[in-house]
Amino acid sequence: MVAILLAVLALFLVLFSLTQKRLLWGVIGVGVHSLVLAGLYLVLAAPDVALTEAAVGFGLVTFVYLLALRRTGKLVVAAVPLYPLLYPAGEGIAGLEWEILERFARWCHRDLELIWVPRAEIPRLVQSGEVHLAAGGFLSRGENGLVFTRPLVLTRLVRVRVAEGPVGAVLGEPAAHLVGPKGKLFPEAADLARALARGELGEAVTDLLRLREWTMQNLFPEAETTVLPEEYGFAFALNPADEELRQSLEGFLAELERQGELRELVRKYLR
Amino acid sequence: MESLSGLGLSVALALLGIWTMVVRRNLVWKLLGLNVASGGGILFLVALSHRPGVRPPIVGLGPGPAADALPQALVLTAVVIHFATLALALALVILLTEYRHTQDARKLEEGSV
Amino acid sequence: MRPILALGLLSLAALLAAGIAGLWPRENPVDPDPIAQGWGVANAVACVVLGMRLWDTLFEVLVYVVAMVGVRFFLGTLCWRGELRPVAQSPLLRRAADLLLGPILVFALYVAASGHLGPGGGFPAGVIFGSALLLLALAKGMERLSAELYEPRLESLEYVAAVLLLSLGAIVLILEVRTSAAFIAANLLIALEVAIGAWAVLHRFASARGEV
Repeated sequence: MVAILLAVLALFLVLFSLTQKRLLWGVIGVGVHSLVLAGLYLVLAAPDVALTEAAVGFGLVTFVYLLALRRTGKLVVAAVPLYPLLYPAGEGIAGLEWEILERFARWCHRDLELIWVPRAEIPRLVQSGEVHLAAGGFLSRGENGLVFTRPLVLTRLVRVRVAEGPVGAVLGEPAAHLVGPKGKLFPEAADLARALARGELGEAVTDLLRLREWTMQNLFPEAETTVLPEEYGFAFALNPADEELRQSLEGFLAELERQGELRELVRKYLR
Repeated sequence: MESLSGLGLSVALALLGIWTMVVRRNLVWKLLGLNVASGGGILFLVALSHRPGVRPPIVGLGPGPAADALPQALVLTAVVIHFATLALALALVILLTEYRHTQDARKLEEGSV
Repeated sequence: MRPILALGLLSLAALLAAGIAGLWPRENPVDPDPIAQGWGVANAVACVVLGMRLWDTLFEVLVYVVAMVGVRFFLGTLCWRGELRPVAQSPLLRRAADLLLGPILVFALYVAASGHLGPGGGFPAGVIFGSALLLLALAKGMERLSAELYEPRLESLEYVAAVLLLSLGAIVLILEVRTSAAFIAANLLIALEVAIGAWAVLHRFASARGEV
């Protein structure tokens, strides 16, 4: 009876750990599973094996795994596409921040994975630990519960006025505060541009880089633009609990800046 | 009954471990699958040594017939050797990560890094 | 790809089940007690490991030593940077760790030396001592512990233990000695061997951590 219970528990634990996404939970699950296996060996009248398995499986093997995967694994990045910073290019992804992220992932030996998300989703994703970093056209307004690296590119908010009508902005961006009670909010910048082009909006609040993207696509040639004085910066955002990652990314960026490569990269992409 | 549940669990563990080794692309996940599969192998031999109502194969430890000592002796060393070879494999993975910057088996095979 | 794999694995399971089904009904195994008593020990597993299949065990130990040499070699090529910091900086914990080292060593020695009488033996004892060292490293910090247990000296001790074990095995095999003294000596040597190997692995992995 005890043997069946232990066997079911061990099977449940191993199913739990092998279906995990994070390697850490898998390793811990397998460690606990081997402790349960040791109990099963005891029930199966093999005390020698049980003693050895308990010491090896739960103590040494788990710890060796933990030491080995201390700083390896995936680096998941949530991003908002924005043309010169981070954008899909054909099959792959390109941009200033992408190049920095690729070098950083190579530097700390992690495999990079990027997911495109709406702007308003980002704080929740970073805080819950589902993603490690937020990047791309992610303009911060000093949100609580996130920490930021040094700004890579500075920008300002800008009002793009096409005609009389309501004001629009992207949900979650700092510009969302400026639209007033009658304004409309959109989940993605592409929706905002589409609404402005269709005439649903008379005015949009966005930032200089986004305006540059629209100008390059020649979307609103007759628009009247007003640049607001306050300065904002595009930066990477991290979870405050992940102090180790913040330190290594900050150190990496400082190293890039010291060697002058950061300025060269900015010049290359933002000519 | 104990023996049968042990045998069933051992077969399930071996299958799950092999499945993980083939399907996952990360080398450390593959090693974890190998870990589970080897646990299945050890459990298989231990479960085979068990009969209903036996006592551990130590003289004077309870009534009844003793369990088969030979499979238990075989796996006793296997557990420790498994730890040693696992440490060696993880050292190789660390070295590979150091020089090729990835743990993805497909990327390593394609030689794209 | 995956359906084929699933099919293959299921047929493997069916093959195993068919193989096991041939074993039923189970016969009782040979009673190991007279055999163990013939070797002068009480634990039949120890009798198999260090008596009847000593040849096997010697080479298992050799595999262990070679694997540890490999770990040292591969991780030695990475430059050492970073250290395993103690989990808690509390002086009480450090002091407790200092005090605990003795009792744990004694317990491991007991497990090794009584391996021919009850559950235990060289392999569990070595691994228990390795786990104890791991706990100590977490409590005191790897740097302090590795200053106390200087690894290169232990490394030569490990090779000496391996050579002693092999010669002991040769003596037992050639002269066909059947005393429990040989069992105790072999168990202690194996425990030393395994404990030093486990400590080497932990130390190397923790020291090379910054590079992982």
